Amino acid sequence: MTDGAAEGTFVLTSEPQHLAGLREWLRGELTRHKVEQREQFGLQVAVGEICSNSIKHAYAGRGGKPIHVSVRGNDDRLVIEVRDFGKKFDPGAYRPPDLEAVPERGVGLHLVKQFVDELSFDVTLEQGTRWTLVKYRRGRRPGSRTP
Amino acid sequence: MEIEVTQSKGVTIVAPTGDLDMGAADQVRRVLTELIDKGQPKLVMDLGGVGYIDSSGLGTLVAAMKQARAAGGNLKLCGLQDDVRSIFEMTRLVKVMAIHGTRQEALASWG
Repeated sequence: MTDGAAEGTFVLTSEPQHLAGLREWLRGELTRHKVEQREQFGLQVAVGEICSNSIKHAYAGRGGKPIHVSVRGNDDRLVIEVRDFGKKFDPGAYRPPDLEAVPERGVGLHLVKQFVDELSFDVTLEQGTRWTLVKYRRGRRPGSRTP
Repeated sequence: MEIEVTQSKGVTIVAPTGDLDMGAADQVRRVLTELIDKGQPKLVMDLGGVGYIDSSGLGTLVAAMKQARAAGGNLKLCGLQDDVRSIFEMTRLVKVMAIHGTRQEALASWG
């Protein structure tokens, strides 16, 4: 793809305590990519939820396993990738939460979808899952009107 | 995460400071469960010092709310920052949880 060359990557291991460090790094990256302050919170939540899923499901709560997060962007959009090397995501096992039932768990991906424009995953890699989150700049989403 | 626990007229106020994420959820869960198990199910959670919450943090609060209600009390929230409140709206928890603007309002709601 032709997104800008400026790319940052953060590597954390799969202890929940490392999520705070990831958010701090991500804030810096989003600021560097001129993401509006009010969108930064949502992207931190989205990336944090994907990483939490990797910790809980891909690595079954085991610590010391790698998770790679990268951010790249251009004038049109921001692309964030999260890569783990554990058990692959199984879309067949995923059930969207019934929010009316006031669930105690299972709302992570629901939250991700609220904050990004596109969410996809690749499980064809030799190991693990690569998640791709896309957030378009204001007015740059395909089909949206020019401001 | 720092968690301050105080009492006011039979209501227990729990005020965490920091991010209520997957890394802090167990700590918060332990504090709330212990209070309810000790016979203090009337709870006010002041989230004024929480600038970030994720689904693990939400799950902890929902579980504690259910536990407190089953014990004859409730877990009421107050002081939500705008970003945090947006998470409660997206998950429709604003419809089922008692959410007040200030600690005083939350305490007053217990009558």
